[in-house]
Amino acid sequence: MEKRPRITLMLCGGTGCIAGGSLKVKEAFEKELAQKGLTDEINIVLTGCNGFCAEGPIGIVYPDDIFYEKLTPDDAKIIVQEHFIKGRPVERLMYKEPVKKHAIPVMNEIPFFKHQVLRALRNKGLIDPERIEDYIARDGYMAAAKALLEMTPEEIIREVKNSGLRGRGGAGFPTGLKWELCSKVKSELKFILCNGDEGDPGAFMDRSIMEGDPHSVLEGMIIAGKAIGATKGYIYVRAEYPLAVKRLQIAIEQAREKGLLGEDILGSGYSLDIEIYQGAGAFVCGEETALMRSIEGKRGMPRPRPPFPVYKGLWDKPSVLNNVETFANVPPIILHGAEWFRSLGTEKSPGTKVFALTGAINNVGLIEVPMGIPLRTIIYDIGGGIKKGRKFKAVQLGGPSGGCIPEHLLDTPVTYEDIVQTGAIVGSGGMVVMDDLNCMVSVAKFFLEFTTDESCGKCTPCRIGTKVMLDILTDITEGRGKDGDIETLEDLAKDIIAASLCGLGQTAPNPVLTTIKYFRDEYESHIYEKWCKAGVCRSLVTFYIDPSTCTGCGACARVCPQKAISGERKKPHSIDQSLCIKCRQCYETCKFNSVKTGPRDMFKKEEPAEPLEEEVKR
Amino acid sequence: MINLKINGKEIQAKDGSTILKAALDNGIYIPHLCWDRRLEPYGGCRLCIVEVEGQRRLITSCAAPVEEGMVVWTETPKVVKARKTVLELLLLYHPLDCPICDKAGECELQDLAFKYGPTESRFTAKRKREPERLDSPIVERNPNRCVLCGKCVNLCRDHQGVGALAIIGRGFKAKISPAFEETLDCEFCGQCIDACPVGALGAKPYRHRSRVWYMDEYQIICPYCGCGCTTNISVREGKIIRARGKEAVGINDGNLCSKGRFGFDFLYSEKRLTTPLIRKEGELRPAPWDEALRFIAERLEIIKNTYGPSSIGAIGSQRCTVEDNFMLQRFMREVIGTDNIDSGARFGFARALEALMESSGLDYMPVDWQKPLEKSLLLVIESDITATHPVWGLNFLQAKRRGAYLITADSRQTKLARHSTHWLRLKPGTGVALLNGIANYIIENGLFDKDRVSGIKGFSEWTNHVKRFNLKETSQITGLPETTIEEVARLIASTPKRLIALSSGASENNKSKDHYIASANLLMLLGEEIDNLQLPAEFSNTLGLWLSGVRPLKDGKTLKDMLYKEGSLKALYIMGEDPVTVFPDGSTIERNLKNLELLIVQDIVLTETARLAHVVLPASAWAEKDGTFIGMTGLEQKITKLLPDQGDSTPDWKILRNLARIMGYEIGRDINSVKEDFKKKLSAEGYILEGSRWKKPQRLEPSFRIADLKVKARPEKPQEVYLLTGNVLQHSGVLSYLSKTLDSAVADAVLTINEEDAKRLNIKDDTFVKVTSPKGSVYLKTRVTDEVPEGVAFAPLHFPHARLNTLLTLPSDGEIPLEVIEISKG
Repeated sequence: MEKRPRITLMLCGGTGCIAGGSLKVKEAFEKELAQKGLTDEINIVLTGCNGFCAEGPIGIVYPDDIFYEKLTPDDAKIIVQEHFIKGRPVERLMYKEPVKKHAIPVMNEIPFFKHQVLRALRNKGLIDPERIEDYIARDGYMAAAKALLEMTPEEIIREVKNSGLRGRGGAGFPTGLKWELCSKVKSELKFILCNGDEGDPGAFMDRSIMEGDPHSVLEGMIIAGKAIGATKGYIYVRAEYPLAVKRLQIAIEQAREKGLLGEDILGSGYSLDIEIYQGAGAFVCGEETALMRSIEGKRGMPRPRPPFPVYKGLWDKPSVLNNVETFANVPPIILHGAEWFRSLGTEKSPGTKVFALTGAINNVGLIEVPMGIPLRTIIYDIGGGIKKGRKFKAVQLGGPSGGCIPEHLLDTPVTYEDIVQTGAIVGSGGMVVMDDLNCMVSVAKFFLEFTTDESCGKCTPCRIGTKVMLDILTDITEGRGKDGDIETLEDLAKDIIAASLCGLGQTAPNPVLTTIKYFRDEYESHIYEKWCKAGVCRSLVTFYIDPSTCTGCGACARVCPQKAISGERKKPHSIDQSLCIKCRQCYETCKFNSVKTGPRDMFKKEEPAEPLEEEVKR
Repeated sequence: MINLKINGKEIQAKDGSTILKAALDNGIYIPHLCWDRRLEPYGGCRLCIVEVEGQRRLITSCAAPVEEGMVVWTETPKVVKARKTVLELLLLYHPLDCPICDKAGECELQDLAFKYGPTESRFTAKRKREPERLDSPIVERNPNRCVLCGKCVNLCRDHQGVGALAIIGRGFKAKISPAFEETLDCEFCGQCIDACPVGALGAKPYRHRSRVWYMDEYQIICPYCGCGCTTNISVREGKIIRARGKEAVGINDGNLCSKGRFGFDFLYSEKRLTTPLIRKEGELRPAPWDEALRFIAERLEIIKNTYGPSSIGAIGSQRCTVEDNFMLQRFMREVIGTDNIDSGARFGFARALEALMESSGLDYMPVDWQKPLEKSLLLVIESDITATHPVWGLNFLQAKRRGAYLITADSRQTKLARHSTHWLRLKPGTGVALLNGIANYIIENGLFDKDRVSGIKGFSEWTNHVKRFNLKETSQITGLPETTIEEVARLIASTPKRLIALSSGASENNKSKDHYIASANLLMLLGEEIDNLQLPAEFSNTLGLWLSGVRPLKDGKTLKDMLYKEGSLKALYIMGEDPVTVFPDGSTIERNLKNLELLIVQDIVLTETARLAHVVLPASAWAEKDGTFIGMTGLEQKITKLLPDQGDSTPDWKILRNLARIMGYEIGRDINSVKEDFKKKLSAEGYILEGSRWKKPQRLEPSFRIADLKVKARPEKPQEVYLLTGNVLQHSGVLSYLSKTLDSAVADAVLTINEEDAKRLNIKDDTFVKVTSPKGSVYLKTRVTDEVPEGVAFAPLHFPHARLNTLLTLPSDGEIPLEVIEISKG
């Protein structure tokens, strides 16, 4: 009988941890185990992204569920020696709670993980994504088998409809309804498509699923394919995700080998094959109709709707496009039922959502939480609060299509219906936390720069309108803002939203609108006082030291690259404005809040008035 | 029909129609910039957005299908505001070029701004400074004015099937340009220019020549090919400044090709004749009309009395009007008393009609313009329809886009071949064998309705004949794989609603009479009506010339006797034709013409033939005279005198009237009486004018006929290849070379040679080579490509200076006129 390993070490092989050196860590472990002759007893698996990216490279020891973080190749020897051989987990390498600094050895007791519920990410960190056997061992393809062999298309659709699953790509359209509309259209050819373009800057929810659990996507597509009567499937993956492409390709080949893709799957009479199509670097190709044009080999430009893609989609045939995370949610719904899916979340937003938590937060990483969880819980309990003890300012949801939510709305539950009331959107799951060091006008400008760059150029309001908005914002951040600009931005934004052809143009003004709504004072201080209070817009800030609170510790002077700060020890320091390049290092370093920002013209002398003509004559 | 309401008005629309179409059809205007009736809705300009009750967002009316009970509002405050902003944004980066922009006065952006736009802009912007592109022939581009409506790109790619322009770059930086911003090189049809709503695309000949309001616009029929397209010409102070197509105007629905759009400046060639010329002391000298006509009259009388009427002949013109040709044949038959009259249609059209008569008993069968769009399978045999009849050819492309099978049998890669669902690259001239082979396969496999067909006359004899064309033999002759022939045969047999088209002119030398007979045979076998055989007449009035009776009706001499048989004639009257440079074996023709006692040439320019004449008469050209064209569809269409006479030039029919009068005959009083006489003649022959279309009720007598492959000669020596002649898209017959504009696009008879042949013969691209046939040799410039197969070279016949016709031998009956040539270094 084959000897089963007594310990399994799951090393995170997500892109973040690999960048942090997890492959070298793996090598070190393998070497050490070989030396000690333990290769049969101890199994090392490279899994997909664990999610706690701030603490990588990560390794988890099963069956104890011990969590090790920030691993280096040298740590391999110690862990093998102390933990695997002597049975004593190594405390030094465990997660430390931030305040009292005591170790939390078990992963699911760490706050970052405690509040999460894994459904789309159900196999996170537990499987080798390049082994279909691992996926099957965790109930993989059981839902597809049930759907293909025991359910009719109508029954599948009913289950998904009743679950209330909404598209996880950002629009939140009821998935079951989309499938139902397409299933009713008669056509010899129908397509099931997966949107793996994930263009939002900083978002990596879909990447983690495609890299870490590619079969979950395939299984979701098979079930959807049967429901709508699809004859062929495509997964559109952005070319900037080569590992995702590779893992999906391996998964497809393995599925074909096992008869889970191709002709007459599992003897059910339903046939489906899936192909990968790579994007070519255009954000707009994540838009449904532009994506379809891209697969057709055409320039990726959206089409007006109606007619909708469920009627006229890829090659003008009925097509359903769903997001990666949406597909990943489908198999458990089939296996456990609509009611089970609804046991979490709210009436209108059931289930869970994956978020990429980034920005000025302590616990940066990938999380999955039940819908309805308050924002505050995500930011403070899961996220561990603001980095370096700074003050929370806003959280941006939904990337360049989304909006900023200020402090006073942090109790808003994260649901489609509640978030949209604030002016933002849940979006695809990107969540960027901002502190007082962020300038909200700059943030809006950043997102608008992105959308203007990515605009396909087909329709006038987006092509020219977003550029005009960007020009106004640029003027505001560079000191050329004038009275009326805010009103113009708001008015123009409304028309761009109303007239744009696709979601890119229709949502590009959102970051601007929400930052105006909640941080209008920042716009006003940029325009009227020529003052960027966060000190980000370099032409609109003067850094100075408040002598009444300065302790003369000299920390600021030490970090100043221009040696512009002078002062005696323990005496108030001052900044030479002629040397200051506004790099903001002193402002970020000062622990006493003595370095302050002031308006651009704070120290400008009054210009002598032009002499009157009469005076000159005299 | 769907019922909906727009702005409170109840209207009905066809199921599948869009809101915009429904509105426009019912007289409700919704502004739009990027929509074109020929294209799929684009939805890019955003000007057509409307409010639809029950919908949260504004709806793109050019793309949204109508739904029962829909309630649409086009002028709500929300719509008006959004539309104003869109215009404000368009105008922001649109340069204030109106004072120097040729589009001013007919610019859609101007009109929209005037009607819907803001009067002030909230924004300022730095104007775009893209260089203006004047580096390509005919088409000028000013990217700064472009509003990115996409019409040019979409029209060129989807409608014309070329795709020379595309949107490059993204977002604000997006612009319309040829690939890699190189010089635009395309068909130069100019469809993009007419479609452009602003001054971003223009025609170089028109640049800065006139303001719109100084020109008068008229409709006239194009003088070039048999399509009979209507062009809208703009005239200023008696000169044509430009020609355009207009939506819903003409059989062409506003589509034009490069000839119709840019070929009108042949009128202004310096070579135009302005005065009669008489040969005195060996030289042609100007003379007044009465002297010239008297000269002719006297000489003709003498020759008639000395040698008899049958020593005198005439050649008519496929480009002159019905009235011109009718008068010529009246002159010959009544004044001279001879049946010796013929035309260039002898080489092509006559042959096709002969085949038609033998196969069906019909002597008249015009083309049906819309037919290709009604078919599921179009078979084109060795004919470049997209070059000979470009606008009608668009119907073939459109049919294919709608899902029809487009099967092209052609050795050369034409535009039609490139767009075909099946391109059968057969050896030149072997179309007969292919048709016989397909027919035989269908017969042997029983894929036809035997009961229906076997009773037709000649069936058993014919089936016996085609037995020889089994798959193996057919494959051997045509060079096509057996599997291909089988696949195509099965497809043709199983797809209902078929059409077979062949060009009927002689400019393409790859067909014989047997091609037409074999096509008719196949149609009959398939149970299709004979009128599914489409034989487009080549030039603007080929059909009109034929109906006028410009051909021997009794025992008169044909072109072959008149021009090629030494001593056949003593006098020849040539109207609107240039046999020396157009017809095969030009040297022989020249020799025979030189031996005439009297050669009269009546033309618009001093042609090579005219140079040999004793008398040259200056004729009025198209648009300088009234007249009638009957195009390939049998449609009778008018040309009108819109321009002043050039010098003393006179309409052809009038010259003949005056000459006849001097000789004591009245053959036609004025243009109306001539027209009336023509109509009477046709009626007497059984033709009926239905609306504007001539029809002829005839008794169908279908008959299967033997069609065989007869080739003159084959290439044998290593430096020998076939010479394939034909058309290039930018030219038509031998008239267009006079147009400087068309010349700027394509000016030379380039010899297209296959890459392998070039390698074997050690010949390089773009160099001069010597081309020799049994009849003579010429020098031509090469273009090495894979558009022609090995063993085949192609050259167009449009350019007199190339003297390509001197290489061609006069074909004998039934032979495919393919010429064998030797190519050697120049």
